[in-house]
Amino acid sequence: MNNIWLLTKIMLKNSSRMGARKKGSEWKSLMLVALMLIGFLPMIISGVWFVAEMYDGLAQIGQESAILGMGLAMVSCAIFVLGIVYVITVFYYSQDVEHLLPLPLAPREILGAKFLVALFYEYLTELVLIGPLLVVYGVKSDAGVLYYLFAIVLFLVVPVVPLALSSILVMLFMRFTNIGKRKDRLRLIGGIVGIGAVLGFQYFIQRQNSAMEDIEQMQQQLLSGENVLLNLATQIFPSTKLAVLALVESGYWSGLGYLFAFLLATLAGILLFSFAGDRLYFAGVMGISDSAGTRRKVEGHAFAKLAQMRPAWWSYTIKEWRVIWRTPAYMLNCLLPSLLMPFLILIPLVGIQDRKDLLEAFRGWITGTGGISVAIFLAGSIVLAGMNSASVTAITREGQAFFLSKSFPLPFRQFLLAKLFPGTILSILSIFVLLAIAVWFLPITPLLAGLAVFVSIPGVMLMNQFGFLIDLQRPKLSWTSEQEAVKQNINPLFSLLFGGVLAAITILGVVSWGGSLIPVALVLFLVFGILNLMLYQVLVKKGPEWMDKIEK
Amino acid sequence: MIELNGVSKSYNGIRRAVDNLDLTIPDGEIFGFLGPNGAGKTTTIKMITGIIKPDAGQIRINGTDIAADPIKAKQRFGYVPDSPDLFLRLKGLEYVSFMADIYGVEQELRNSRIETLAKRFDMLDALGDTIQSYSHGMRQKIVIMGVLVHHPEVWILDEPLTGLDPKSSFTLKEMMREHADSGRTVFFSTHVLEVAEKLCDRVAIINKGKILFCGTFPQMQEHFQSHESLESLFLELTKHE
Repeated sequence: MNNIWLLTKIMLKNSSRMGARKKGSEWKSLMLVALMLIGFLPMIISGVWFVAEMYDGLAQIGQESAILGMGLAMVSCAIFVLGIVYVITVFYYSQDVEHLLPLPLAPREILGAKFLVALFYEYLTELVLIGPLLVVYGVKSDAGVLYYLFAIVLFLVVPVVPLALSSILVMLFMRFTNIGKRKDRLRLIGGIVGIGAVLGFQYFIQRQNSAMEDIEQMQQQLLSGENVLLNLATQIFPSTKLAVLALVESGYWSGLGYLFAFLLATLAGILLFSFAGDRLYFAGVMGISDSAGTRRKVEGHAFAKLAQMRPAWWSYTIKEWRVIWRTPAYMLNCLLPSLLMPFLILIPLVGIQDRKDLLEAFRGWITGTGGISVAIFLAGSIVLAGMNSASVTAITREGQAFFLSKSFPLPFRQFLLAKLFPGTILSILSIFVLLAIAVWFLPITPLLAGLAVFVSIPGVMLMNQFGFLIDLQRPKLSWTSEQEAVKQNINPLFSLLFGGVLAAITILGVVSWGGSLIPVALVLFLVFGILNLMLYQVLVKKGPEWMDKIEK
Repeated sequence: MIELNGVSKSYNGIRRAVDNLDLTIPDGEIFGFLGPNGAGKTTTIKMITGIIKPDAGQIRINGTDIAADPIKAKQRFGYVPDSPDLFLRLKGLEYVSFMADIYGVEQELRNSRIETLAKRFDMLDALGDTIQSYSHGMRQKIVIMGVLVHHPEVWILDEPLTGLDPKSSFTLKEMMREHADSGRTVFFSTHVLEVAEKLCDRVAIINKGKILFCGTFPQMQEHFQSHESLESLFLELTKHE
């Protein structure tokens, strides 16, 4: 047990930036966190409002506890899905694995520590997902101290079983794919199939819940046991039901009984995880960083192709592309969002397809003469660009190689171009994917399609420049795995947030103006064009100075 | 030629990693930069190569001030960093070619140079594989090839011999000698004192950011009135610091 604690502490210290921060930058970080909280405030408030409304409705028929059930079920599902990614990263593709394997540690000790690290990150997710719900429920039901005590215990314990399940799943997968020379590719394909499965699952849920548009209907579903998500979650994680009962009856002895039963179920989960870990982990993780070369001489055409002369900035761009394509973590975070996210936006559209009247209304809206349709499309593109991590991790991705790059005789403008290119191209690609989907569902005229692309291109260019600006200010260069560079990094969140705010401002601005299609498109193009030029000037002027300051 | 005048660097405003350094490395010389761990070697090299900015002082590469005209100064040197675990997702040939692009090496010239370098370092069969699949020594060799492909006038090498097999180590030392003999500059840091003693025309010993000695090995023996090896002198010099 001691070894587990020791390892956990070291791993957490190693993965947080706080240890290596410069003096005087704490207040900067604090300010950034505060800014983000303010940015997410509307989301949190609407979440709180939603839960409160649900509570009032359900309380009239004495079924308010269904909210807890739904919340815990939702959080279990989310942690299970996110857990798969965390486990792959933290258990397998983190560089410390190679240093830990030679130490006299049992698999369960390494796993125990890594499990706690993953759990720590899951708590952050949980805090956002279910923290407000637990508090709102407590306040609304005038719950006693015991409720909050139980809530804290449950908050800490609820993620354990889903995370243990996803760990076991990943360990099985890694154990049986740790074969042959092409294991990286094998795993990537497995990963993409996994993402496909998750998307399919989400589609299925959306489809089942498509009739659910307002709170009343949702309440109906919860009561009649028709909510697919809830049913599924309690089937996969039967222990969740015990957690809900413990909370609901926290004032009685039976509540304590349920809590103990839940803790016992969790303990069983831990034992199962430990049992599976001892048998599966080492066999899956050993030789993970090995990659075999062919050791064949490159000649003739192949040599000419690889050694072809290019302008420096273009060569740098191609290098960026290759690294994104060949690194699974970068591909998942920089490449796939551009292609998959438009589909995620599409799924609700499919959901409401049954509701003809709503779709018709939407159609009428989009085909009208107003400029709002083009603003909505631009906002969509901006949000998509904000979800893409390519530019906001452009410097971070280089890691320690960035310092070698600093010794290159490459003018800053060329460096900037090379860094902005991949992200911008990917964002433009997602504009077209979004357009294709929109054209499929909505009667979009060629004029609207043309104008939508016309205004969206400067929109996404601005997002990419902004992303690069953030990364230039606070790159995370000392990471132990590529996944850590893009995932355990706060910068993409800023880009996401900025995208959301910019999209909202755009839509609000156009709605309050109420101009018609072509004038709105022209004004948006001009505004975003000017913003781009201004930001570009700032980057070119101040960029070299900022880059000089990155010394560690 | 590399010139450092009054160069200082401190971290967090307290610890002086490099303290008022004056150093001139003339053309035609192999210059060894020695010192215990954490003495300030890598910090000095990073300042010379423009990776970090000195707090004070001036650095010139072949007469060009790196602060005033960084692009021109950077074109003059080639730099091998202390860790070769870089650009692991690229193939060897892609990396060397990328470096050739950065320094604008013409097609014909790069083809023949890559060929020659690969032969000398025994890397012909590995160029098509990703650097990730290389051993430590092979990674070191590909980084060195990436630097030498643009024929820099000044070589700046941070621990270049670490991990090289005897043959490659011999080849690199041979190339360093050739380069210095053709009237250009080789500046390298090392912990291997035997190598420094045999290879370097001059050495500087740095500790706690200050130069303790700079000169030829015979000068050092004369200075300390001793006929002991460089190792003994080095240990003596850095003992009480």
